Amino acid sequence: MSAAVQTLDISPVGRVEGDLDVRVDIQNGVVVNAWTQAELFRGFEVILRDKDPQAGLVVTPRACGICGASHLTCAAWALDTAWKAEVPRNAILARNLGQIVESLQSLPRHHYGLFMIDYTHKNYSHSKYYEEAVKRWSPFTGTNYELGVTISGRPVEIYALLGGQWPHSSYMVPGGVMCAPTLTDVTRAWSILEHFRRNWMEPVWLGCSFERYEQIQSYDDFMAWLDERPEHANSDLGMFWRMSLDVGVDKYGQGHGKYVSWGYLPHEDKYNRPTIEGRNSAVLMKSGVYDGASDTHKLMDQVYTREDLRHAWYDEPGGMHPFERVTKPVGKNPVDYDNKYSWSVAVRHDQNGRLEAGPLARQLIAGGTHGESWQHFDPLVLDMYKKLGGASVMLRHFARMHEGVKLYRQAEHALREFRLNDPWYVKPTEKDGKGWGATEAIRGALCHWIEVQGGKIKNYQIIAPTTWNVGPRSDGGELGPIEQALIGTPIADMNDPVEVGHVCRSYDSCLVCTVHAHDANTGEELARFRTA
Amino acid sequence: MANLLWLQGGACSGNTMSFLNAEEPSACDLVTDFGINVLWHPSLGLELGDNLKKLLNALTSGQMPLDIFVFEGTVVNAPNGTGEWNRFAGRAMRDWVSDLCKVANFVVAVGDCATWGGIPATAPNPSESQGLQFLKRDQGGFLGKDYKSKAGLPVINIPGCPAHPDWITQIVVAVATGRAGDLTLDEFQRPKTFFTSFTQTGCTRNMHFAYKVSATEFGQRKGCLFYDLGCRGPMTHSPCNRVLWNRQSSKTRAGMPCMGCTEPEFPFFDLAPGTVFKTQTVMGVPKDMPSGVDKTGYIKLTAAAKAASPRWAEEDIFVV
Repeated sequence: MSAAVQTLDISPVGRVEGDLDVRVDIQNGVVVNAWTQAELFRGFEVILRDKDPQAGLVVTPRACGICGASHLTCAAWALDTAWKAEVPRNAILARNLGQIVESLQSLPRHHYGLFMIDYTHKNYSHSKYYEEAVKRWSPFTGTNYELGVTISGRPVEIYALLGGQWPHSSYMVPGGVMCAPTLTDVTRAWSILEHFRRNWMEPVWLGCSFERYEQIQSYDDFMAWLDERPEHANSDLGMFWRMSLDVGVDKYGQGHGKYVSWGYLPHEDKYNRPTIEGRNSAVLMKSGVYDGASDTHKLMDQVYTREDLRHAWYDEPGGMHPFERVTKPVGKNPVDYDNKYSWSVAVRHDQNGRLEAGPLARQLIAGGTHGESWQHFDPLVLDMYKKLGGASVMLRHFARMHEGVKLYRQAEHALREFRLNDPWYVKPTEKDGKGWGATEAIRGALCHWIEVQGGKIKNYQIIAPTTWNVGPRSDGGELGPIEQALIGTPIADMNDPVEVGHVCRSYDSCLVCTVHAHDANTGEELARFRTA
Repeated sequence: MANLLWLQGGACSGNTMSFLNAEEPSACDLVTDFGINVLWHPSLGLELGDNLKKLLNALTSGQMPLDIFVFEGTVVNAPNGTGEWNRFAGRAMRDWVSDLCKVANFVVAVGDCATWGGIPATAPNPSESQGLQFLKRDQGGFLGKDYKSKAGLPVINIPGCPAHPDWITQIVVAVATGRAGDLTLDEFQRPKTFFTSFTQTGCTRNMHFAYKVSATEFGQRKGCLFYDLGCRGPMTHSPCNRVLWNRQSSKTRAGMPCMGCTEPEFPFFDLAPGTVFKTQTVMGVPKDMPSGVDKTGYIKLTAAAKAASPRWAEEDIFVV
């Protein structure tokens, strides 16, 4: 006899950036259906239209205070490709360094501030690790919470050396960067990195040296590392892994098993004359689409991007490429789960459907042998994925944290490669045209499309990682990645569904970038740019 | 023990991220050393769903005291004044803000969006956004110009895009430790302690300003950013070159023009074509003068400055 389905509306989910509401259907204590709703709109597209071509450098970082450097990176590269600018070697390194330190900042900040505090939830008081979890990870007062949240501010001090402040600098501009760092800046940056490594990454997070961690190439290597020394097992990584298994967050949050990355970190000598078409073979971290079911990798190209709108608050046909869209939003936005229920569109790949973005996607793609021989390769997370039977809340979060050491090495590379007396900026000629810029924000694939006409912005569009992840059902009915990942989630306490929070937070959702807009006053079609 | 609630409207979390960079005191120090009880914060709060609604209702009904209400982001009124485009915990955020401001002892607007409307309120302001008590330069905003919190103060405005962490933590500590009386506010309800001097005060490019030596392009190791690159340092109130950012630097020190983000008009000129990173001039004279300087004085000053300009001022100076 099948049990009755209970419906649970969770508003707000919290500790995701922006306002996320989730509706789940629960049967026998397990989620059997789910809907994710983005509940905020600000309207950047209207603001950017007809503005100065460089307005995106100012406005788009404010789409998201956490991924500001990532938005700035996209905005600068989009203009570079539209204006056919030359970008000097130093500037590529300085942009990459800004992107990297923002991501390094996010690791402890998300880990302690947003994710691990759920491990202190009363639901887990039966776990043998609970007492230690409360001691380490309680909000504000936990020993490692306080250390982690405070030290998270250090990496972005390097961003301030380059751009004056973090968040919200606009130091990346078409043709390069505004700054001209000196030896003092480089020396300070080294010492900041070292501090971050010696005070958190090695002693607290890993319990070992970077060099030892870098030897881990497979799931078996990782398990051997875990058992090798008590310092490893008792590190925050070791504790996270063991407690995750103990409380079962390795058992749910799987999702579609299809992943996307634009790739990022253009090579300093391979993207000095940037073009849209030339980007895939110029980035260190390769782009890709990984399909877990068939275990296949291929490159990702922006031409495959499609947006479905049947379940989003727009009144137009779905399935268009962002450059083609003419947004006609609905006036009022009542929630109707059979029809429209979110400001987020449903983004899909023309051939592969809905794809998950984020660090897990990046790491699964890093394990592929597609792309150029010189591009980055790392088999660890792909091996774990196969050995553990696919994705989970645990693996998704592990993948994110795993990137720390690699990003650190890339920051070192940038500091080593700066040639202080070479140019940082080559003044470009402003012209009309279309451009596209992309990167990987810490939470996944981010890109901007721009069209400049008559010396002003005709069309500016963003697709953020959370748009990929938090979107509603596609026109064909395929669930969004988080909707799919919620299915199968066990709910212990209907009044406090912390497990739903686990799943959503494992994606580090950022709703503030994910909202589309139109002019409510006139109702006219405006959203040729959308903040998602 | 002071109860603090922090909510976000039309926000990007930039002020939250900035706040988390605080060091003296740190965000955790606020809780552990200064007795601030953070009831909930969108990025840090434990509760979700119904448990949060219970907390909010306890505050709005007066069951639980609300000492400090911090708001980040704009008040979204779209569509047509309903606020339905920013729903939170099952209702329009503007309705929560309205109820919470009635019971709060102190209300603090953090960042440009909450103070003046900021980027979302840039023309044509599609989300019908307002600041709590201002819209750009006009007093009133969402709460109206006569609004006073229960302690008798108007909204305390901490502008900036984002606000500097020290500006946030110091004001919150002052309020929580009963020193709100020491906060004198200027005409825009900004604490004078932070917003009396100029962004230019302490700028490392002051000598170049004085001798009218311009940084004509980005990436140069000399020159003032005011003459060609649109820097608003001389007419913007902020301590950015006195209280440095991220313990390291400031925009102007790093070669980026100040965009005037602590002033109500930010983003200036509504980002119209030709206005971004370019000084606006009429007949070669900047449209916006350094604060309090008139055109005649400016022309005399720059003529004298140029005449006195030493040769070293044209050579690279920021080489360390």
